[in-house]
Amino acid sequence: MSQTSHTPAAGGDHPRPAGAVQGPQRRPRLAAYPSLLAMPALALLIAAMGYPLLTVTLRSFSDPAWGLQNYFWFFSTPVNVTVLWRTFSIAAWVTIVCVIAAYPYAYLMTAVGPRMRLVLILCVLVPFWVSGVVRTLAWVILLQDSGIINSVIRLLGFDGVKLIRTQTGVVIGMAQVLLPFMILPLYSVMRGIDLRLVQAARSLGARPARAFLQIYLPLSLPGVFAGAIIVFILSLGFYITPALLGGPRSTMLSTLVQSQVLSLLNWGRGGAMGVVLLVATFVLLALAAPLMRQRHKQASRS
Amino acid sequence: MGSRSRLAGFVGAAALALLAAAAHAQNAPPAGTVVDGSLKGKTLTFVSYGGIYQDGQVAALKEFVDKSGVKLLNDGPTEIAKLQAQVESGNVTWDVVDTDDFPPFVHCGKLFQKLDLTKLDISHIPAGQVGECSVPAMNYGTVLMYKNDKYKDNPPKDWKDFFDTTKFPGTRAIDGSGSPIGGLIEQAILADGGSVANMTTADIDKGIAKIKAIGPDTIFWKTGAESQQLAESGEADMIIMWTGRAMTAVKNGAAYTPVWKDWLVVMDQLTIPVGVKDTDASYALINAYLGKKSQEILTEQTSYSPINTESQPKVDASVAAFLTNTPDHAKLGYQQNIKFWVANFATASDKWTALMAGN
Repeated sequence: MSQTSHTPAAGGDHPRPAGAVQGPQRRPRLAAYPSLLAMPALALLIAAMGYPLLTVTLRSFSDPAWGLQNYFWFFSTPVNVTVLWRTFSIAAWVTIVCVIAAYPYAYLMTAVGPRMRLVLILCVLVPFWVSGVVRTLAWVILLQDSGIINSVIRLLGFDGVKLIRTQTGVVIGMAQVLLPFMILPLYSVMRGIDLRLVQAARSLGARPARAFLQIYLPLSLPGVFAGAIIVFILSLGFYITPALLGGPRSTMLSTLVQSQVLSLLNWGRGGAMGVVLLVATFVLLALAAPLMRQRHKQASRS
Repeated sequence: MGSRSRLAGFVGAAALALLAAAAHAQNAPPAGTVVDGSLKGKTLTFVSYGGIYQDGQVAALKEFVDKSGVKLLNDGPTEIAKLQAQVESGNVTWDVVDTDDFPPFVHCGKLFQKLDLTKLDISHIPAGQVGECSVPAMNYGTVLMYKNDKYKDNPPKDWKDFFDTTKFPGTRAIDGSGSPIGGLIEQAILADGGSVANMTTADIDKGIAKIKAIGPDTIFWKTGAESQQLAESGEADMIIMWTGRAMTAVKNGAAYTPVWKDWLVVMDQLTIPVGVKDTDASYALINAYLGKKSQEILTEQTSYSPINTESQPKVDASVAAFLTNTPDHAKLGYQQNIKFWVANFATASDKWTALMAGN
């Protein structure tokens, strides 16, 4: 062990009188050890997430032979790079659509009376309880060329619109499936905003738009960010909705992983795809984090 | 009742055959025979694709279960990746597995046992369908279905017309459910003026380019149900469909007509995974499944064609219209070059996947 290291293991020269400190302080209360309280969740995460993830990562380096060949393959195959880029772009579009659709809705939930609020919450939750596959199939019926939306458009004398098997169709379907994940965090943040602050701004002469932009919007941003991150990350892994509503040009990475693993048995390549997606997500979040923190600080200051 | 006494005769013959086999080289009991109580106390897990297909298979195996005393468990759908995990971990719980065309050839000897044909009676299986690691589970076809009111008096007649978007405008839907459709790529090469006699990997590119040239509106359906839905709602003008799904769609009112010229011959395969606990029990199940009567039950319940040439299933006209083993359909079938597609499975799959992903 080097002397310059700051790891606890290097502190061997100065043994901590651990027993002496711990002995008299021992308290039987569970609450004293927050880490203990997290144990069940941690154990579940390690067993159900950590271990499989580790296996997948290992296989991406070791299957069929040790090395980086799966990663070379990933980046040297044009279709993978195109689809990776497309996956992020679809996820971004879904996030934007969700923010735009959820923001006014969540605001309305804070503004109405308790009975109306219950109705609004149910409107969010009831579709949430229906399986994603069923909802996606409902979208097929709505969006297809001979579907309800196109029939109505044609009835009105316009040309039909191509919705199904396009990226637009995929974004519409995914946004609907993911909307609750945006509305609920937004609502929980908006509920805590003191509306008198807006009234104060108005009484000090701010126009409604300005009062909203300078007071309400910054205060609600933590909810926007929380919802956006959840929606964005969930979008990246979507499989069923793009498979049913999309065409070849809206295939997402999960579909490619599926075909590598399930039909070609290339666990290594499938694993490499998963790892690339995971790392790319982490990088993106790391880039976005300082931005969000700053905004958050600003929001709490105002 | 006559069939029952005949069966009893079979059983007797089988017992004799078994006795003889003990002394001499083994001889498979005739397909469809089950020795009474032979598998009492044993359990077999049969894996297939669910739906009416697996229900029909279970019905076809009912007599086997009743007589042998075996406990039959069902699992599915078949996923080769799951099977690989079982074989690698040395804990194989799937005893007989129904797969699609290629896997038994691609993974022969590694995931699937090389079959000991002295334990199976393959004398009534249609010619050329027994593989080193598989026997057929049923036959079906992939046919071109066109929309009646779109093409009226001038419908497409073959695959060339399918690829000709100037003479036959309209959207096409293609089987994008998984593995590359070798037969379709071959037909694309032919439509492009090429030859499939000595195909190379460069020809795969040509075929795929031809499919891609149909245009950006091409639909790649992911499941049989989706293809049926496309037909029933009239979404596409030409749809490549499995015969079972085509029949159901037409029954449900889809106004489409099949083109039988060069329909693509496809089959499901029955296999025994490497490392099963009781290989002989798996063989017994397959041998019973191949029997004349079992195959009749299978066809009557599922509309897929039997793989016992002696079977004479009683089906109504709407089902018979889509059976692939009737004389006038059988002679029009197109058999893909399985050897080529198995040898080039990885390359073809990569190119096919790229096509599916819009590249």
